[in-house]
Amino acid sequence: MKKFDLELAVGVFMILGIVCLGYLSIKLGKMEVLGGEGYEIQAVFSNSGGLKAGSSVVIAGVEVGRVKEVALEDYRARVVLHLPSHLKIQEDAIASVKTKGLIGEKYLEITPGGADKIIPPEGRIRDTQSPVDLEELISSYVFGKL
Amino acid sequence: MRKGFRVVPIFLLMGFLASTALAGEPTEAIQKTTDKIIAIVTDPALKGPAKSEEKAKLIRQAVDERFDWEEMSRRTLARHWQDRTDAQKKEFMVLFAELLEATYLDKVEGYSGEKVIYEGERSDGEYAVVAVKIVTQKETEIPVKYRMKKIKNEWRVYDISITGVSLINNYRKQFNSIITRSSFDSLMEKLEAKVKREE
Repeated sequence: MKKFDLELAVGVFMILGIVCLGYLSIKLGKMEVLGGEGYEIQAVFSNSGGLKAGSSVVIAGVEVGRVKEVALEDYRARVVLHLPSHLKIQEDAIASVKTKGLIGEKYLEITPGGADKIIPPEGRIRDTQSPVDLEELISSYVFGKL
Repeated sequence: MRKGFRVVPIFLLMGFLASTALAGEPTEAIQKTTDKIIAIVTDPALKGPAKSEEKAKLIRQAVDERFDWEEMSRRTLARHWQDRTDAQKKEFMVLFAELLEATYLDKVEGYSGEKVIYEGERSDGEYAVVAVKIVTQKETEIPVKYRMKKIKNEWRVYDISITGVSLINNYRKQFNSIITRSSFDSLMEKLEAKVKREE
């Protein structure tokens, strides 16, 4: 009788562990799929500067969405963003790739515009700004000095 | 023989497409304005401090033809544009144009034989981006991108990026932080002070 209790406790503990693991992996990995509400828009950059799927999309320092996909299109980087449906992005918003700190990870910042027109789902942010390439800046400075 | 005939029109078509892709209306518009300004700046009849006022006026005219100050002001003020009265909008437009002029005019006047190379354009309906490379005499290359919009059948510039930094985005962030920290009036005061100082 006592042995049965022990086995039961171990079993329950195991199941609890598996449930926890499952919850964790969903929470960590598929956040945006489960929170599937929202819409997607695109932005095309001449250089994505190492932006990755999962990078954050930020407005005024607040994380509002995630990068869903980065792909090459006509030798430029097409970035698909996933945004919550209540968030409206104006037609003249500017998307720029930024770095956290000096050598931190890349994220995408949107500076909201003032147009009446709102970008529809599957629409595209027209004005984009690729990251400033420090190396290029330094080299132009160096060669400019010659 | 027949094959050869079929190939020729395709090549013609490709050549035609390539040329429209390389130098379309937006590039032509930029080229026209750039040539005009270079002609003014290098005009020997306009040399000397006595003529500088006249020169500045001519440059301003050429720039006004190509730049859409209303579109630029609207994009710079962004969310704050709609809250302004018509009089405030007009006042801001004038000041903003003066600020840019005060900041960049002496750079334009300091022209010393830089070459301008047109690197192509991308257009998408009524919007276009024209890429230009400015090569200084020290062979430093400065990439410049003009963002344009077709307004009343005329291609007008609404943003410039120099080495990848957008002018509108730069001022949009600065103005936004000033307006949210204090007020629109204090932004106007700061702009006025800055324009006066630059002059």
